Amino acid sequence: MTTISLSPTVTPRRFTGEVGLLVGRGFRMLPRVPERLLDVTLQPVVFTLLFLYVFGSALHITDPAGHPVRYQDYLLPGLIGQQLVFGLIGTGTATANDFASGVIDRFRSLPVHRLAILTAQVVGQVLEQVLGLVIVVGIGLICGWRPTFGIGGFLELVGLVLLGLLASTWLGVLIGMVFRSSDAVQGVGFSLVFPLSFLAGTFVPIQGMALVPRVIGEWDPIAALVASVRRVCQGTPSSGSWMLEHPELAMVGWCVLIIAVCVPLALRRFSRS
Amino acid sequence: MTSTRAVVTEGLTRRFGDFTAVDELDLEVATGSVFAILGPNGAGKTTTVRMLATLTAPTSGRAAVCGHDVVTEAEQVRRSLSLTGQFAALEDNLTCRENLVLMARLRGHSRKDAATITDRLIERFDIVEFADKLVKSVSGGQRRRTDLAASLVIQPQLLVLDEPTTGLDPRSRMEVWSSVRELVSDGVTVLLTTQYLEEADQLADHVVLIDHGRAVASGTPYQLKAQIGEQRVDVVTSDVAAFDALVTALSGRFTLTTNRERRSLSIPAPDETADLAAVAKAVHATGVTVDELALRRPTLDDAFLALTGSPSSHPAEETA
Repeated sequence: MTTISLSPTVTPRRFTGEVGLLVGRGFRMLPRVPERLLDVTLQPVVFTLLFLYVFGSALHITDPAGHPVRYQDYLLPGLIGQQLVFGLIGTGTATANDFASGVIDRFRSLPVHRLAILTAQVVGQVLEQVLGLVIVVGIGLICGWRPTFGIGGFLELVGLVLLGLLASTWLGVLIGMVFRSSDAVQGVGFSLVFPLSFLAGTFVPIQGMALVPRVIGEWDPIAALVASVRRVCQGTPSSGSWMLEHPELAMVGWCVLIIAVCVPLALRRFSRS
Repeated sequence: MTSTRAVVTEGLTRRFGDFTAVDELDLEVATGSVFAILGPNGAGKTTTVRMLATLTAPTSGRAAVCGHDVVTEAEQVRRSLSLTGQFAALEDNLTCRENLVLMARLRGHSRKDAATITDRLIERFDIVEFADKLVKSVSGGQRRRTDLAASLVIQPQLLVLDEPTTGLDPRSRMEVWSSVRELVSDGVTVLLTTQYLEEADQLADHVVLIDHGRAVASGTPYQLKAQIGEQRVDVVTSDVAAFDALVTALSGRFTLTTNRERRSLSIPAPDETADLAAVAKAVHATGVTVDELALRRPTLDDAFLALTGSPSSHPAEETA
């Protein structure tokens, strides 16, 4: 059966109550397995310092008008994008582990709405990833990153990032359910996310790359994310493809597409399996 | 419409690709009874249980739990039944108490009620001394008891236990059995799966033996045992010559089942120790030395041999 029966007894209040209980379960466990949070604590710090002080010393980046750009100001929007897409690996791993342990099956055998179980998974992961982003931003500011946006720009940034997080988290949940093993998720995740995040103009501009990586980069969803964050934070325009000339629009489009595909697939998979 | 039968399945079938895990299974579980599905690994026990618990959809056929269809009325089915899966499905990094509270809250109890219910279950299942330990640091038996308690944060109409004692040591197994008996005396209907004939015998009112997803025999444990034969005396000789000598000497007096390769022979022992004594005396009279001479209960393999005429096609992991 592939249909999700929305039971008549589900009220919004009960639904949010169930989500709250399930999210609470995840957070209660965190202090007991602090290593689970390494990907959103230590990893962003290491990445930021590594790229800033290893590559930053040799790279001289200019904006499309030819003006030099401080590497902090170039790199940080890229790292925000990278942290966000790495989140999908963390989400996928956590989801695969939950499914393997039988805990999710037990929840599924309860009269708890199945969408509540998935929503809790997504909400819990989004909250964890927010922590990672706060750390990236914090370490960036300490190292001299100076975003130039006002209140409006800040709100726009928050909106874009949250939308991106939702998309990457739902994708991660789906991947975790499909592969059902955290090793497989890590393998697939890294071999896909790693190159795509490097091709996305995260660390060096796309325009200077050779033809093949450049074309991939110009249509890489992560590039839309990075370019839109960069535009909002520093006012740096981007160009090269329709997508990079309209990064916010492209970013919203990619996210809506990912969410529109992943949510029904995840629910379908979850309700039958 | 629900009162007399807690579970009814008709032609229940589940395929995974080309593999048929459960094949046209018809079951009827009387309300208030203990029903055991007995079978070796891979016989389709867990798939059956998962279909009843709405975790896996049937490919064809139908199943109803407490009068509710598992496909069209899944929500009502989930309200009526509690499942304790084969692998204790508890959160490793929560304490036993926290797991129970979480289950009670997810079943819709208020915070206060959940705490009261948890305290009562901790008392009842003798969890007190490890209630505040993390699940990952308690023993297998303690974990299984906590898991069982987690299924009872409500009074279910049907309690489903998937191999409740597999992998437990004998003492923990006894503890789980006594917990199950206690629940039964409270009037809960129990459906359990097991690989152990002895477990079905100890707990169940009705047993169905399944293999390759099909029911091969069913009845009360008494009826099944009557077909299988009660206990047997097994003799294992130290070499083939001794085996041959023994078979020649005993074949006129006893009904023998022999296995020359293993140098073993087996004799039905309806009178138990009296038969054991008779066999021992006869063996002693031949002067042949034996490695082993013992009275034992019938195993799942004996059951298959007696009821289907062929051994189970799956290696039984262990016999009780």
